[in-house]
Amino acid sequence: MLSISDLHVSVENKEILKGVNLHIPKNEVHALFGPNGSGKSVLLSTIMGFPEYKILQGKIMFKGEDINQLSIDERVKLGIAISEQRPPTISGVKLRSLIELLASERKDDAFIEDMVERFNMAKFLNRNINDGLSGGEIKKSELFLAMVARPAFLVLDEPDSGVDPEHLKKIGAMINEIIQQGNQGKISCDPLAKNSGLIATHSAAILNYIHTDKAHVMLNGQIRCSGNPGVMMEQIRLNGYKYCIRCQQLIQEE
Amino acid sequence: MPTVNTGGIIMEHGVFINDMAQAGYLKVDYSRFKDIEKIENNSSTIDELNLEGDEISSLKAVGVNLYDNSLVGKFLIYGTNVYTSRPRIAGVEIIPLKEALLLYPDIKAKYYFKAVDREQDEVTRTAYKKEQNGYFIRVKKNVVVDIPIHTALFMHKENSVMCIHNIVVLEEGAQLHLITGCTSGCTLKEGLHIAVSEHFVGKGAKLTNTMIHNWGSDFVVRPKTATIVEDDGTFVSNYYSVKPPKNIQTNPFTHLKGKNASAKYMTVLASLPNTYSDIGGTVLMTGENSGAELVARAVNHGGTVNQTGLLIGAAKGVRAHVDCSGLMLSTEGVIEAIPGLRAMHPDARMSHEAAIGKIDTGEVNYLQSKGLEEMQAIALIVRGFLDIGIEEEGFEPELQKAIQQISELSGHGEE
Repeated sequence: MLSISDLHVSVENKEILKGVNLHIPKNEVHALFGPNGSGKSVLLSTIMGFPEYKILQGKIMFKGEDINQLSIDERVKLGIAISEQRPPTISGVKLRSLIELLASERKDDAFIEDMVERFNMAKFLNRNINDGLSGGEIKKSELFLAMVARPAFLVLDEPDSGVDPEHLKKIGAMINEIIQQGNQGKISCDPLAKNSGLIATHSAAILNYIHTDKAHVMLNGQIRCSGNPGVMMEQIRLNGYKYCIRCQQLIQEE
Repeated sequence: MPTVNTGGIIMEHGVFINDMAQAGYLKVDYSRFKDIEKIENNSSTIDELNLEGDEISSLKAVGVNLYDNSLVGKFLIYGTNVYTSRPRIAGVEIIPLKEALLLYPDIKAKYYFKAVDREQDEVTRTAYKKEQNGYFIRVKKNVVVDIPIHTALFMHKENSVMCIHNIVVLEEGAQLHLITGCTSGCTLKEGLHIAVSEHFVGKGAKLTNTMIHNWGSDFVVRPKTATIVEDDGTFVSNYYSVKPPKNIQTNPFTHLKGKNASAKYMTVLASLPNTYSDIGGTVLMTGENSGAELVARAVNHGGTVNQTGLLIGAAKGVRAHVDCSGLMLSTEGVIEAIPGLRAMHPDARMSHEAAIGKIDTGEVNYLQSKGLEEMQAIALIVRGFLDIGIEEEGFEPELQKAIQQISELSGHGEE
């Protein structure tokens, strides 16, 4: 589904990603761990195509297509959606206006109405986008917009940061809804069919509500090790990220 | 020496002269226009009106639907012809000003050039000397008109001059929403439009005056508007410039004379290359506890915009806020925002804000990441910028479309 090879990315002329390699197959959701400043958000924003992240080297392939040169909206059309950690506030623009515009493009009114009701989004529709929302409300709004996009690949940047436990459960349900959209309305031979995704998380709190197939640790702009999400998180909790560095050193010594 | 785009503002001794009037923007060669056309004394009814399809559309685009029989009242000046409809409810009068002056001799003493100073400038002097065309609308005591009255001033002859004088009187407790569309249709290029408008808002009355302009590219427009508001009265002025003329200067003046009187100005303007728009507003507050708010939004595609708001607090307990904001969508053009406050009483509470900038690319990228194309994202942001809470319920769909086009035009402006 998504394949990244030897990706080097700079922001404001400073190289942040220094050779990232990552492969996420179809029907898999991966977690991305790493301390603050390790480059997780830069990787996610680069996948989405935000122009301030300059690709110096390497390739991002999505569904077999090189997407390095595609604009943000072209990537959305291909099936990538993002839920940002700190999205901008857009003064004067109501969430309803954006949703209506997206609905008219996709002729998807009934689905959107259903999602508004199921996830209790009606009260957000008449508010300006991300204006005056709490941390949990911003995540809900972001996930709702991702849901409307019906992506094949979901990119989540810290969906659990600044969220209270009650909201976290609801956010987990929304993420699962988006992931399971991959197995809705289709006749599939694969009972495990689902959408793919990459979830960057600092605390891993969200992983109590979402099944992830694999995890990676990012340090200093590189993915240093990969493995079982539960085991890796447990090790990080016990030993910190040096656990991963030790793993990396062991691999190099062999 | 590098050239600096100043929008034509002159520079002397290394200092920009911060006065567009001095820079010659308001100097207009009136001689190029033909004489003011004489309007016939006899007026016709709207039922006798026979407009072409394009003309009907042009009127709808400025919010006026003369064929809507549910409206309380309608009035049209079409070139030199006047059309009126009999008001559908008692207590409302809509008649040509000329007829009103003959019918009610006291109008001259009470209202005619009583809000606007006839010696104010060349425009008002011309309006005083030359003609008395326009409408007289009066809503009697405690009559509430809950469906808008539509009036239109339609110029349909190239290089002509229309000179208008309108008077609106709301007696105590009356309420009215007046929608006035001024247009030169879709083919005219050149003309001069002069309009004096005087509004009198009685005790506890409320007048909402929505004005929509759509002009040809070489028009000169000079509206002179003044409003007097008595105790507990409310005046709301909504102004949309769907398509600006080459040169417009208007600084509507409101005098909040009575206690607890209030005024709210909301102005939405799109500026195009080679146009000059001086759109301001002045509110004088001499009534105790009176309040004023002035909100102006301009999107600039390369013209010159002067947003001047002046609120004068001259009584106990007055409160006022002025907010002038502009969005630069072109590397050409000028926006000058001058939100002014003048306190003449120690109890006056007054504030202002002004912001001019370009579209935040972070916001555009964000909306693109939700699935909008770049142009759609820009249009949505501009629409949000222009949304200042004007009540659009009851607006013609064509007008809503025209308003929407202001922001869609903005999307294209980025290309």
